[in-house]
Amino acid sequence: MKKGFLATLMISAGIIACQPAPQAAKEEHKNTFSKATTQKTSKKSSKEKEFLKALGAQDKWQKACSNPVQVAPEGVDVTKFIEEMKATIKYPADGKLVGDWKKGESLALLPKEYKALYGRKGGSKKGNCYACHCGDPRIIACGNIGPSLRGYGKKGIDPKMTYDRIYNPWAQVPCSTMFRFGYHGLLSPEEIADIVAYLHDPESPINK
Amino acid sequence: MKKGIFASLLGGALFLVNAEAPTPEQLKILKEMGVSPADVIVEEGRDYYHNLKGTTGKTCASCHGQDGANLVGAYAKMPRYYTDIGKVADVDLRVKACLEKYVGVNAKGKKGRKYIVPLAGYVATLSNGMPINIELKHPEEKRLYEYGKELWYKRVGARDFSCAICHDVLAGKRIRLQKLGAPVRDKLYAHWPAYRISKDKLWTMEDRIRGCYKSFFLFNPEKGKFDFKENWVKKPPFYMEEIIALELYMKKAANGAKVEVPGLIR
Repeated sequence: MKKGFLATLMISAGIIACQPAPQAAKEEHKNTFSKATTQKTSKKSSKEKEFLKALGAQDKWQKACSNPVQVAPEGVDVTKFIEEMKATIKYPADGKLVGDWKKGESLALLPKEYKALYGRKGGSKKGNCYACHCGDPRIIACGNIGPSLRGYGKKGIDPKMTYDRIYNPWAQVPCSTMFRFGYHGLLSPEEIADIVAYLHDPESPINK
Repeated sequence: MKKGIFASLLGGALFLVNAEAPTPEQLKILKEMGVSPADVIVEEGRDYYHNLKGTTGKTCASCHGQDGANLVGAYAKMPRYYTDIGKVADVDLRVKACLEKYVGVNAKGKKGRKYIVPLAGYVATLSNGMPINIELKHPEEKRLYEYGKELWYKRVGARDFSCAICHDVLAGKRIRLQKLGAPVRDKLYAHWPAYRISKDKLWTMEDRIRGCYKSFFLFNPEKGKFDFKENWVKKPPFYMEEIIALELYMKKAANGAKVEVPGLIR
């Protein structure tokens, strides 16, 4: 009997505890948190605004590629698309499209990859070539999104074509997965020339 | 005893059938053995659920019942619209709102994730075995779903990425040695939240989406072209509408798939 009574008491206590708190208590609760909440909202909204600005920075070509097919532009003339993309390509001031392959290698490899191969500091996260391509056979952790670049220099490809391909792949293949390194400023014209050398030079590990 | 071994073997076999292709071999073995490193985190969530008290003196269990009695199946329908907070919430935001509104625990920022992630993991496990069922009844849910779809295909940032380019078009290919999953096509949402073995952490879908956006190289265009130091906008803040919209899009695509959490990923 006593046990039953106790159980009822406990259950009803539980029910009471789950009822909405009295108005007064609610107000008090609000006040404790209001300061913190406003501070948070203002801080968060600036970060939210920044993110929205970044999302809004879509250019008209990206917009044309933002369809379910993803790799074919929609609502624009493809010939014009290619022409406009070609017009964005800038070349090094000295006109040399093939630079220093060793510098190019350091741009192509991540710092940890470079250190593993040469035991010294080098590498960069700018190129990140091996995320999608294989090439130097010593680098096993290479992606298969793009074609293998092994022996690229022996295929008789025009270095200018390689340069353009890295500066703005969309000037050759609109909406390609490969992003527009030069157009976005991820790599400077000189840096792209160095990577071209890394791909074409017979001494480069790509062609060895 | 024998029965137990048989049951676990059977469980393992079923798991193998359901297992996703990208799950590495050693993780499959762990699953077969019925051992998941994420169980500890889910247990932590269960502990918070019953014992974490804030300024109101209540715990999660005060309202949702012992052992999550009233939350069984709730995760299968999330994200959805909640009248008490007036917006569509995923499990992370729902837990956060509950902690702040009803329990009286400060759950903001990174510190708040300490409670929110284990609790989200625990709440998700309460729907294990149930089919995902996103209904899109409320107009806000419909609006966010459409927005999520738009974001899924939106190519943007200094890498010209979208979610879809990697997770639809290139799904099955590898970035370095990591296989790209297809959450929409393969209903992968059924395995989230998931334990990420390389980070030794339980990740909710919010963590996953924020991590993905980091690879976009989004930038503030007011400060010129992309620059690692000057204007890289790495991740959206937690609980932002954009994240929840993408979750809604992916989870709707997983409708019918049975919740099987916590998942195990590399």
